[in-house]
Formats: sequence, C-alpha cells, structure tokens
Amino acid sequence: MISIAKSTGGFMSELYNTYLSVAFELQKHLKRRRLLIVAAIAVLIPLFFYISPPDNSSQFASTSLGFINILIAVAAAMFAGDAVSGEFENKIALVSFPTPQSRLSIFVGKYVASLLATFMTIVLFYLTMLAQISQLYSIDALPVELWQSLGIALIYATSAVSIVFFLSSVLKRSTSATILGFVSLMMILPVISMVLSRASVEPWFIVTYSAGLISNVVGEGAIIMEPGRGIMGPGRETVSSFEPALGTGIIIMLAYTVLGFISSMIFVNRKSVD
Amino acid sequence: MVYAVETRNLVKNYNGFTALDGISFNIEQGDIVGYVGPNGAGKTTTIKILTTLLKPTSGHVYINGADVTKRSREIFYDIGALIEVPGIYDYLTPAEMLSYFGKIYRMPINEIEKQTKETLGLLKLSDWEHKKIGTFSTGMQRRLAIAKAIFHRPKILILDEPVLGLDPEGIRDVRELIKKFNSEGVTIFLSSHLLGEVAAVCKKVIFIDKGRITDYDSIDNISTKNISKAIDVKFLKPLSKEELIELEKIELIKSINANNESVLIGFDGKQGTSSQILKRIVSLGYEIASFNVESIELEDYYLSIMSEEKGGRIDDINS
Repeated sequence: MISIAKSTGGFMSELYNTYLSVAFELQKHLKRRRLLIVAAIAVLIPLFFYISPPDNSSQFASTSLGFINILIAVAAAMFAGDAVSGEFENKIALVSFPTPQSRLSIFVGKYVASLLATFMTIVLFYLTMLAQISQLYSIDALPVELWQSLGIALIYATSAVSIVFFLSSVLKRSTSATILGFVSLMMILPVISMVLSRASVEPWFIVTYSAGLISNVVGEGAIIMEPGRGIMGPGRETVSSFEPALGTGIIIMLAYTVLGFISSMIFVNRKSVD
Repeated sequence: MVYAVETRNLVKNYNGFTALDGISFNIEQGDIVGYVGPNGAGKTTTIKILTTLLKPTSGHVYINGADVTKRSREIFYDIGALIEVPGIYDYLTPAEMLSYFGKIYRMPINEIEKQTKETLGLLKLSDWEHKKIGTFSTGMQRRLAIAKAIFHRPKILILDEPVLGLDPEGIRDVRELIKKFNSEGVTIFLSSHLLGEVAAVCKKVIFIDKGRITDYDSIDNISTKNISKAIDVKFLKPLSKEELIELEKIELIKSINANNESVLIGFDGKQGTSSQILKRIVSLGYEIASFNVESIELEDYYLSIMSEEKGGRIDDINS
C-alpha cells in the first residue's frame, strides 16, 4: 500500500494544483530550451545598440525599448502558442486529464507559467539595458521613467500572452497558434492601427498602439517613424500625431488580458478530447 | 451494492452519428472485464466518457458510486487510465514525469521516489529512469504510459488496448502485470480488439458493436452456452452412401455431412447425447479413428455475434 493524502477538492486544493502546474510548465520551458532561447534574445537585442550608442541615456533607453515589443511577441508566442492546442494536438490530454487535477488548474497553471516566463525575459532585457546605460553613461544617468516603462511592459506582456493563449485555445494546431499569435502582435494589429491613424482615427482600442507607452514614458518620447519606412511593430507605427494616453492605454491592455484569459478558459473547458 | 464501474443507458452522438446507443453495464469490485469489439464499435468513446474526457449526450457513469458526469475529481484517486496512444512529454525523463503526477496524487516525496523505482522496475524501464522520453521506442513509450496509469496504485484500472505496439515479451509482461494487480484486488476494465488478449487475462467479457452491447458474460459461461452442436468423427475407412444413410437413421443425429473418412454429425449439443451417439455408432460395427465434439473458441463466438449483426446467424458456425 502506498500513502496518498486524498484531497477533497476545494479552493486550496485547486490552488495547490495550479502551483504544481506552474512549476511543471516552467520546468518544461527550461527543458525545451525555450526559456534559454528567449533569454538569449532578451540579452542580445539591447547589445546591438552598444555598437553605436546615442548621445544620452534617455535616447539609448528609448531606442532599445522600441524593440522590446519584438521580444514580448516572441516570448508570448513561444511560451503560450502551444499551451492549449499542443495539449490536445499531441494527445497529452489523454495523460494529464484523467487525474484529480481539474482542467482549470492545468490551464491556469499554463497561463501563469507563460506569463512568468515572459516576465523573466522582460526583466532580463531591462537589466541588460540598465547595465549598458550604467557602463556607457553613468549609474546616475539611469532614467527614472524606466521603472514606469518596465511596469507598462509587464502589463503589455500579460495582454500579449492572453491574445496568444486565446488563439491557442481556439486553434487546433499549435504551430498555427504560435505563428498567428506572433503575426497578430507584430503585423496585423499594428497595420490596423496604422490604417486607422492614416484615416485620422486614434486607434486607442488597439493593444499594440497602447504598447507605444513602453518607450513613450521614457523622457525622449516616442520614435516617430515615417509612413512606409522603418520597422513595423507595436508602438512603432505612430505615423500620425496620435500618442497613447497612459490611463487609457493601461486600461486597454488590462481589458485584452482579462478578455483573452476568460474567453480562452471558456474554450478550454468546452474542448473535447476527440 | 456499490459497483466499481456502472454505466446507465449511455448515449453519445457526434453530429448525427450515434457512437454509443444506450450502453449499460456493471463491473463488480475486483472483477477483470474485457471490452471487445471491432474498430469503431464505441470502446474508446465509452472509456473517454468513463474518464470524463467526453461528456455523454445522455446517461450516467458511476465510479465507486460517484457520478463522474458531475466531474468530481476525487474519483481519480481511485482510477488509473491508459487511453489510446497518449502523447508523452518527449523532453522530460520518466522520473520527472512521474514525479509531477505523484504530486498531483498527493504522494509524499519519498513515496514518489520509491514508487518511481518500483513502477519502472515492473515495466522493465529501470535503466531509462533518467533518459529523455523522446528517445524511447513506441513499445517503451507504451510501457511508460502504463507506468503512469498504475503509478498511484489505483483501485480501478481502465486500460484501452494496453498491449498495442508491444513486442511479445512486452505483451507477456503486461499480461502478467494486469493479472498481478487483479489478484491484489484491483478492478480492471480492459478494452481490446485482440480477443486472445482478453481471453488470456479476463474473467468476463463485454461484446460491443455499433455502439450497442451484444453480450456480457463470464468467459466460462460463454464457452458453455455456446457449446458446439457438431461432432467431427473420423472413420478408419471412408463410409459408403448406404453406410451414411444407416448412420442418419440414428434418431439422435440431426444431420450428416461427409468428406472422405471425416463425417460431421449434427446433434442437439448435449454432452449425454454425444456419448450416446458414440455408443450407437460403435454398436453398429463402425471403426472410429477419432471422435471430437467441436470446440467453439471465444473468437468464433465473437465473429458469430458480429456476423449476426450483419445478417448472419450464430448457428452458421455450428453447422
């Protein structure tokens, strides 16, 4: 006989199961080297600007931060893209579902793990950038707005993860969810935002437009790209004079987070293992 | 009486197709029951409903008296399940995978470590405890999936085609393992299209075809109630037409079908009758080389009920 302390269910049991799921998912991200790959990208992106640094620390931060959206899109796609669809597509659900763990705790755990992994890479990006600023300029030259920028980046990351997680819950193939998630964050939503801006309509409800706040809050303001030139991406498509307002932008990001999360949980619960 | 597994009028429809059409059966505690049917009969659908992977269109499933359609998770402490060919985490090791599930089953850490070694030993995977699952052969992955199903030592084991993809040695090991668990009181519900597998392991069998149960009985009873109604008699020399007519006159014989020295004699199937027939033939002075009441294997019976569904008759195999 083996000793099993049977849980009678309830909130605490579900919470513990969610914690187990989070730990297991992070272990999987590590084992699959995804965390390592995204962490490497997080360190490498700011290092590009080391070659030809701008005149001051704020410009350096602002230029580097213009690329954090790529990192967030990559991280969200890699950590959340196959979180749901992979479980069904690869028939892992046949092993993981017939256990005392509820679907909800499995997938909330997966969601939280995707968030934590994305947060880790964002923090690594900022730490690399801070180290560079300290080395290139001085520790006193660190823009205080960077903390605000980090906070906004983390909030934007939750909405990016929610979007990809939602796609993963509605699409059958994890590759489709991963690619579509990345393309949505890097192209589809920014293009919609750009088209609206050209039509003189402020795209305040597009989450990638709100993501412009990440670099805008750092002293130098947003980098204004000429239409048709420069890098496509969230926060970089501000071709008109529009700039996202801090309060509205954060509310929009949180709205995407909540809606994406809730709707994906509804889909996950309804999905049958055929 | 609380059954280990109880289904009540289970119906499952998929877009107009009826996969299960009113499935009802009970499995007593400690029983070992085979669930047999051709591909697409509804075996896996039933198992998926038993393990809450699918919701039935209507009907109920009770595990140890608890209604699983209400998705009570506690029942899974008592259930170990192997369903179809599950995906397993390629990039993890068996130790890492089992450790996770051990925690889900609230097993203490030292118990998880002990059980990991013991379970992998039972499945002959001890040397692979810390190797990546992605490097495993199909048979090894199957054994690992069984290891996961039995890891927490459940009271009920639900196994869907457990020996699929295993080599003969693996099949023998798994068969012995199933018998061992059953001898320790574990209820086993085993689905298979391999009749020999079910006959070798199970005491009872449920036949399912086109979403309906066609029979549910012990293997012994099935063998008894479907005893052959034919005797294969081989004579030392071929019988003439006149001799065959003489034999047919024996009132206990219902039909005669001759083929050289061999004669197939139809009778009522009763043991007493066959011995009477033997006595009468001998008393008529015929020299008999062999006298065999034809046996009906489980497989023949299975084929008979499946052909019956297709318009055939059980008697077809007896004549």
